[in-house]
Amino acid sequence: MLKILIPSMFMLLTTWTSPFKQLWSTILMYSFLVATLSLTWLAMPTDTGWFYINNYMAYDPLSSPLLVLTCWLLPLMIIASQNHLAVEPENRQRTYISLLISLQIFLILAFSATEMIMFYVMFEATLIPTLIIITRWGNQMERLNAGTYFLFYTLAGSLPLLVALLIYHSSMGSLSYLSLTSLPLTCSNLYANKLWWMACLLAFLVKMPLYGVHLWLPKAHVEAPIAGSMVLAAVLLKLGGYGMMRIMIILDPLTKELSYPFIILALWGVIMTGSICLRQTDLKSLIAYSSVSHMGLVAAGILIQTPWGFTGALILMIAHGLTSSALFCLANTNYERTHSRTIILARGLQMVLPLMATWWFLASLANLALPPLPNLMGEIMIITSLFNWSFYTLILTGLGTLITASYSLYMFLLTQRGPIPHHLILLEPSHTREHLLLALHLLPLLLLIAKPELVWGWTA
Amino acid sequence: LLFAMGLGTTITFASSHWLLAWMGLEINTLAILPLMCQSHHPRAVEATIKYFLTQATAAAMLLFASITNAWITGQWNLEFMSYSLPTTLVTVALALKIGLAPLHAWMPEVLQGLDLTTGLILSTWQKLAPFCLLLQINPSNTSLLLILGLASTLVGGWGGLNQNQLRKILAYSSIAHLGWMILVLQFFPSLTLLTLFMYFVMTFSLFISFKVNNSTTINSLSMSWSKTPIISSMVPFILLSLGGLPPLSGFMPKWLILQELTKQSLAPLATLAALSALLSLYFYLRISYAMTLTMSPNTLLNALPWRLPSNQHTLPLAITT
Repeated sequence: MLKILIPSMFMLLTTWTSPFKQLWSTILMYSFLVATLSLTWLAMPTDTGWFYINNYMAYDPLSSPLLVLTCWLLPLMIIASQNHLAVEPENRQRTYISLLISLQIFLILAFSATEMIMFYVMFEATLIPTLIIITRWGNQMERLNAGTYFLFYTLAGSLPLLVALLIYHSSMGSLSYLSLTSLPLTCSNLYANKLWWMACLLAFLVKMPLYGVHLWLPKAHVEAPIAGSMVLAAVLLKLGGYGMMRIMIILDPLTKELSYPFIILALWGVIMTGSICLRQTDLKSLIAYSSVSHMGLVAAGILIQTPWGFTGALILMIAHGLTSSALFCLANTNYERTHSRTIILARGLQMVLPLMATWWFLASLANLALPPLPNLMGEIMIITSLFNWSFYTLILTGLGTLITASYSLYMFLLTQRGPIPHHLILLEPSHTREHLLLALHLLPLLLLIAKPELVWGWTA
Repeated sequence: LLFAMGLGTTITFASSHWLLAWMGLEINTLAILPLMCQSHHPRAVEATIKYFLTQATAAAMLLFASITNAWITGQWNLEFMSYSLPTTLVTVALALKIGLAPLHAWMPEVLQGLDLTTGLILSTWQKLAPFCLLLQINPSNTSLLLILGLASTLVGGWGGLNQNQLRKILAYSSIAHLGWMILVLQFFPSLTLLTLFMYFVMTFSLFISFKVNNSTTINSLSMSWSKTPIISSMVPFILLSLGGLPPLSGFMPKWLILQELTKQSLAPLATLAALSALLSLYFYLRISYAMTLTMSPNTLLNALPWRLPSNQHTLPLAITT
């Protein structure tokens, strides 16, 4: 564990001391090295045990796929940001890279925390670099508003979580994950216990995001620069899911009835945000709403609390992380050429950039959960566990899958097929860097078809 | 004058007799008054008068309370106040002295009238003496302190929302932080001291950075990236630390205070206090937007002001971030 954490911390030092000409290549090589090393985490000799490093950090089959995703994403973010940062002065480039690296450090610490307060502190700590990335390097004036929404929605959800954790700590004595399974809070039907349950989950539901409190997400995703969007979609949303999975253990007896409204809200959100996607004119906004939709399914899967639900949620989180990030990179290739996010301004790209169309095709297919990709595996497991819980959810989830397929295809057909608009005179050909970026996104996804046990978690 | 101020606070620190404590507070007040109206601006003079009136009222109330205590119990020692009326009166008097809600109305206007250095002394040094008295008395009225604390955090948050004068914003932030300190006073006094010192450090760095930029409104902050780029990149961290975001050091007092409050089964109070911290975070965020996060080549927020030469006191600032 320290093999990964200490090099990440020293990457900060490297950012500031490398000669400028070799800055990007050095950082890229370094982060690739760290990412490759992190793949060793996936090799788990025992199925359910924790892998200790010290008293404060450990990882298990639940957190290791997310950790590998985090480490894998850093080189990808660096590749993606290279173009739009090339015009900035040197110190600003170094600052940007430092922000990305510090974000990764906080995320590693968050996913490997053994104590819930440590997880909480790191959960909040990831907000600061993300906020700075969105508001400083975003491109439109609305980014300030987006940053405010992002910060305040997340904080308003997570401050009750802090109080709830402290309450639990004062009555149970310890917040370590290791002993959580043996210390559930006594369930009495007091109103205060229900409030406590709510306080524990609210932070993660806002972060996920659940449909009713999802307003920050389209704003933040749309206004963020590409690396910000990538890390938001791929990893930060999964922090919410991961936290929810961890804290479900102690919430147990109350969750049977209390989770009903949230499951329904999540499923309804799948349909609603899917329908919104069908009417979007802004490409990044479409991908952002599709993120809300997928994560609604994840939220429902976690709230069900069955083994298949958890497994499906974890697989869908990993697969969605890679897919969403790939889609944002594709949208960014459009943005860098036309400097606009409107879909109809960049149509018919298959004629002009055929290889990019391949990547669009694969990413859209992944988004609509085509077998045998892991997206489908996650969705099928969640849908099945929901069906087991109640027959009627099949209507909602079936409809949701249908709408997901339709907007994914809509996005693909609108950007790729059809005649090229007349005003597109000058489009740069696709850079090798962009092809590399998308290949690195979609390759793990395809490889996961072969061995999904890596991302199953510990319940299947 | 500075010596007199130091003398006043020290007398209060070292006193165990109420009369001596009162004397220390009075010396403190009188010593700072000439510092405050140094510039002879009508605003400054008005601020001085308001400050004098409020502090004199508070001191008189303090004296009255201590005399009442002496009358009832027959002794003047600080630690042995056992009756509720004098204790409550002392608490209220000290609250007026430091500017807790609902006795906070003088604070923004007074701070606005002063220049930044005097304002700094007012917010930091002047709080030391009343706090040492607050720590030493035995509070017999739990809910009074809690109400004062919660009201202060809420008022500090809401009041600062519509301001664009930096000194008023700093006044409201002072009120809010003092509220947090008072909340935990009766449970865990060392946390009060911790919060006090953390607040001192952060406010000190903030005041100094505003002084270096020679700016008193939010608008004039937006050119600071060209005057002092390093400070401009540090200030968002100071501001977010004041707002209490982990992992910055401003989170630590808030966390420990919330822990103490939940241990005392005051969880709803803890939640309310935590959420009111969000209010003040909003205007800290707005300041940091103006100062740092909208640097060029993004659109600038105002035209280029005159760049007068300024003192470069940047090193202590970097250390105290």
